[in-house]
Amino acid sequence: MRVDVRALGACNRLAERGAKQAAGALSDLTGTDLAVEVTGASVASGEDLAESFAGRESIGVSVGLRGGLDGEAVLAFDAVNADALLSLLPGGQSMGRSAVTEVGNIALGGFLDGWANYLGKAIDMSPPRYFEADGAAVLPDGALAGDGVFLFESRLDATTTDLDFSIYMLPDSGPFRDLIVGKTAPAVTAGGEADGGTTSTAVPYESLSTFSSLAKRGSANAADNIAMMTGLETSVDVSRLRFVPLADVPAEVGTEPHAGTVFELQGEPSGYLAILFEESSAAAVADAMLPMETDEPLGDMAENALCELGNVMTSGFIDGWANVLGTTITHSPPEFVHDIGASTISPLVAKLSERQDYGFVIDTAIQTEGIQARCDVYALPDERELARALDRLSES
Amino acid sequence: MTRSLSDDRPDDSAKPAESDGDAVDDADPAAVTGGPGADDRGRIKVGVGELAVTTDESTLTTSGLGSCVAVALVDERAGVRGLLHAMLPAGEGRTTAASRPAKYVDTGIDSLIGALDDAGADPRRLEARVAGGAEMLDLTDAVGPRNVERVGEVLDRAGVPIVASDVGDTVGRTVRFDPDGRLVVRAADGFERAI
Repeated sequence: MRVDVRALGACNRLAERGAKQAAGALSDLTGTDLAVEVTGASVASGEDLAESFAGRESIGVSVGLRGGLDGEAVLAFDAVNADALLSLLPGGQSMGRSAVTEVGNIALGGFLDGWANYLGKAIDMSPPRYFEADGAAVLPDGALAGDGVFLFESRLDATTTDLDFSIYMLPDSGPFRDLIVGKTAPAVTAGGEADGGTTSTAVPYESLSTFSSLAKRGSANAADNIAMMTGLETSVDVSRLRFVPLADVPAEVGTEPHAGTVFELQGEPSGYLAILFEESSAAAVADAMLPMETDEPLGDMAENALCELGNVMTSGFIDGWANVLGTTITHSPPEFVHDIGASTISPLVAKLSERQDYGFVIDTAIQTEGIQARCDVYALPDERELARALDRLSES
Repeated sequence: MTRSLSDDRPDDSAKPAESDGDAVDDADPAAVTGGPGADDRGRIKVGVGELAVTTDESTLTTSGLGSCVAVALVDERAGVRGLLHAMLPAGEGRTTAASRPAKYVDTGIDSLIGALDDAGADPRRLEARVAGGAEMLDLTDAVGPRNVERVGEVLDRAGVPIVASDVGDTVGRTVRFDPDGRLVVRAADGFERAI
C-alpha cells in the first residue's frame, strides 16, 4: 500500500483551510482576532504523543465523526486560559461549560466544512462533549493506541489577547488510509507526467512510521553527543515528525532572537538542518563548554563552541538516519547564525521551496539538566529523495 | 474585508488638543495618523508566502524576514494598502504559482496589485516600500539579493515607483505597515526605523 506525500499535502491544505474557517467563526463569536499559526500533520506513536503532551491541562470539546470521514475531532485550549476565554463569550462566566461547548461546536463545524467539500460527502458530527483533561488525554480517542497515527493539528493564536486554541483531528486510520491511498493514484500519475516521469513521491504507508522512529533515534544521538561534549546531562523532550507547509516553519521558530548553527546535508536525502537556541540558552551552553569566563556572552569564542557542538550534534543526527536507510549522508561545515529565529531559517525554507511546498519537519527539543538550556533541531529533508530512500528501505 | 477591532468607539481616553471632538467620519486619512499605539486598531498578520490588503485603519505586519522580501504598496488617495511577504524570486511557469502566487516575488506583486485594484486603489497611483532580502547564510546562494533584484524588475515593469527601501545586509527584519503609509522596519537588535 503506497501513499503519495503530496496527497498528504492536499490533506494538510484542507486542514489549514478548515482551521481558518474555525478561526473566523471564533473571531466572530468572541470579537477577538484569531489567526491560524501552524497546521501540521504528524505521524507519531502514542508514546511520543503522550510525552509531548505531558504536564498540560486542557479544556475542550470533542465530536465524533461519521460519513465522509470517520474519527474524532477536538478543540482544546489551556486550562489556565479558561477565564480569559469565558470573559469573551456571550453569557460570559455564568455560562461556563455550555458556552465553551457552543464555541467548540461552531469552530469544529467550520473546520469540518472544508473537508466535507473536498470529499464531496457530508461529515456528520455527534453532539459535542465537554471535557477537562490532563496531558495527552486531550487527544482524540485512539491517538495513543497506534504506533503510527495521523494527527492533524492546528494552532490558533489570538492577536490581541493571550488565548491560544488547538484543533486536533484524528481520522480512523483504516478508512483514512484508504482515502489518501485513493487520492494517491491520480496524484502520482499527474506528478509523473509533470516531471517527465522521473520522480515519484509515493512511499509505502508503513515506512512513514519507520521514518518517525528514525527521527527519534537521530534526536537521541544528537542529545548524547551534547552530553559527551559538555558534560551536561541531556534529554530529548519532544521529537516529532510532522508534515507541514514549508511556509509555516519560520512562524513556528518565532520572532525571538536565536543563535545556533545551520548545515546543508548532501546524500540521500539531502536537505538542511538547523540547530537553534534561544539567546540565553546559547550563552549558557557555550559558557559550560568554555574553560574560562568570556567578556561577551555570544562572542567569537562562544560562536566557535556552538559550531563545534553543532557539528557533533548533526553528525549524531544524520548517522542514525544513514544507518537505517543504508545511504550515505554528509554535512557541510557549520554556519553560525544569530538573529530573529524566523529570519535565520527563512533562507533554508526558501531554498527547499524551489522544489516543494510541503516538507517533513523533524522538530526535536533537547533539554540540558543543571543549566537552563534548550535547543530546537529542525531537519528539512528533500521530499523526493526521502521518499526514494524510504521506498528502498521497505523493499529490502 | 478585514476583521478588525476598530469600531470607532467614542474616545474616552485623553484626547490631544484638536478638540472638535467628533468621530472620524469626516476625517481625512492624514488626520487620523499618529494616534496612540496601533494595538487599539486591527492588526493583520501576513504570513510567509501570503499577502493582505486593507482599506481601513488596520496595521499590516509581517515578521521574521530573512532572505524573504516584504513589498508594501499604498494608494494614499484611495486609502488602500497592501503587504506581500514573498519567499522566492520567480514563480512564472511554476505550477505552484497558481495555487500560491504570493510565495513568489513576480506572481505575488501581480496578485497584490490586482487585489489593491479590486479594493479601489488606482494602480497608477501606487507607491512601493521594500524591506528584507538579507543575505543571511552563505549556504543558500544569495536568494535574498535575487529577491530584491526581482522586486525592482517587476515593480519597474508595473510602473510602480519604489519610494523607500531597507534591503540586503545580513540582518533579519520585522515590518509593520502603518495606516499613514509608512513602513516601520525593526531589526533583531530592536533598532527601528520608519521608511
